[in-house]
Amino acid sequence: MSDTRPQGQPDEAMVDLLIKQVTEGLSPAEQRALDVMDSEVASAYLRDLERAAAAVTLAGGTGGESLPAALSARIAQQAAEHFAHPSKVADLAAARNTATERARDRQSPAPGRANRFNYGWLAAAACLVLAIFGWERSPPPLPPVAAVPPAPVTVPPAEKPAPPTAAEERAALLAKTDSLKIPLGATKDPAAAGVTGDVVWDPVTQRGFLHFAGLGANDPTMHQYQIWIFDAGRDKRYPVDGGVFDVPANASEVVIPIRASLMVRKPAAFAVTLEKPGGVVVSGREHVLVLGATS
Amino acid sequence: MSTSVLQRIASGDSAAVRDCIDQYGPLVWSIARRLSRTPADAEDATQEIFLDIWRSAGRFDAAQGSDKVFIAMIARRRLIDRLRKSSAEPPMDPVEALETVVWADPGTASETSIEAEQATRALAELRPEQRQVLELGLLHGLSQSEIAARLSMPLGTVKSFMRRGLIRVREFMNVDAEGVLSEG
Repeated sequence: MSDTRPQGQPDEAMVDLLIKQVTEGLSPAEQRALDVMDSEVASAYLRDLERAAAAVTLAGGTGGESLPAALSARIAQQAAEHFAHPSKVADLAAARNTATERARDRQSPAPGRANRFNYGWLAAAACLVLAIFGWERSPPPLPPVAAVPPAPVTVPPAEKPAPPTAAEERAALLAKTDSLKIPLGATKDPAAAGVTGDVVWDPVTQRGFLHFAGLGANDPTMHQYQIWIFDAGRDKRYPVDGGVFDVPANASEVVIPIRASLMVRKPAAFAVTLEKPGGVVVSGREHVLVLGATS
Repeated sequence: MSTSVLQRIASGDSAAVRDCIDQYGPLVWSIARRLSRTPADAEDATQEIFLDIWRSAGRFDAAQGSDKVFIAMIARRRLIDRLRKSSAEPPMDPVEALETVVWADPGTASETSIEAEQATRALAELRPEQRQVLELGLLHGLSQSEIAARLSMPLGTVKSFMRRGLIRVREFMNVDAEGVLSEG
């Protein structure tokens, strides 16, 4: 059968791959399949689809939320560093390029205008931005789930102070007068038998920790525990996800950092469910293990 | 016609970087919040997106579209790449957030951008369930399989709706672009 498509038009398989690339990204195998297709046609069609997807994104409303001031300052600082040291940042960026980006760059080569930058003013801008915003850095990432050791452990002296453990961060949060401290109670679910715990939550920084004793170890390949935060300002059917965690074997107590996926305005309750590995978007609530309400 | 902020960055205008952050920071942040798993992820992504913007400003061509769409394209690329790398987990957007999306009114969307107006007009032609598929996929970063599961819809139907919807928007934008070119 002869191909009657107009010249320069993508075939069905290419369109499917390009739409997937634009909406959710391609697997390595899919990327390889796209790479062997007509790159000129793919490049032009991809650009159109990306524009269409961006336009739909804008049509869907982009909210009135301002960029957080600290983040804005970090971006300005990053820009100053980028323009002051373009080659260094370019190398870093190249190292971080993904296969998808490399393919895309092959399809739409840069015209090289960046090389024509006059960086004199940028060095001056770098100094100005640094003077205004200082060297503010991103806060350190939250530590992973940490089992509380059953007995004190002697730590050899280190040259640099170790980052605080989850237990230490929880203790610091507990000491804050404006943080919420809520006891957690076990439900009637058999997996929750004998579980005790509490939650501490700082509404200002949106950080918090769960602390449990008696929660059984899980097999992460089968199930993971998932934290939920019920926000009084939201529909109670859809609590905010607080992240998934595992309980290692032989851990008598665990401290788990809460990683709220959205801003929690008025925390009303915290819960832990048992879900499939990786957690779920909306829990079926078949296994609600612990609950704690603020009032 | 005023010079775009991206063109100003590319030409070395010392005030353009700050202007770009002020002007498009909320847009990037909004998209990043929707397509990231956690606020911390959204912050990291926003920084990466702006780095991409600085690197790509020289490629911006005003004849191909607005600053806003160019920046939204860069943001989407970076966020999809991050989502892809983050263990195939969809962004943790609760369903009520999905219900809060209000498509721009065709009469006022032009205030956002001409492309948003074109997209709104194209979306208005789609059936509600087709719009919903685009909404879940493009605004909330759900994969086609996740959309199928959430809407209890065959995967083939989701693919078909996504395909037709995006192609319809593309056609609207290209027809408009051709119209503008032929007028000019």
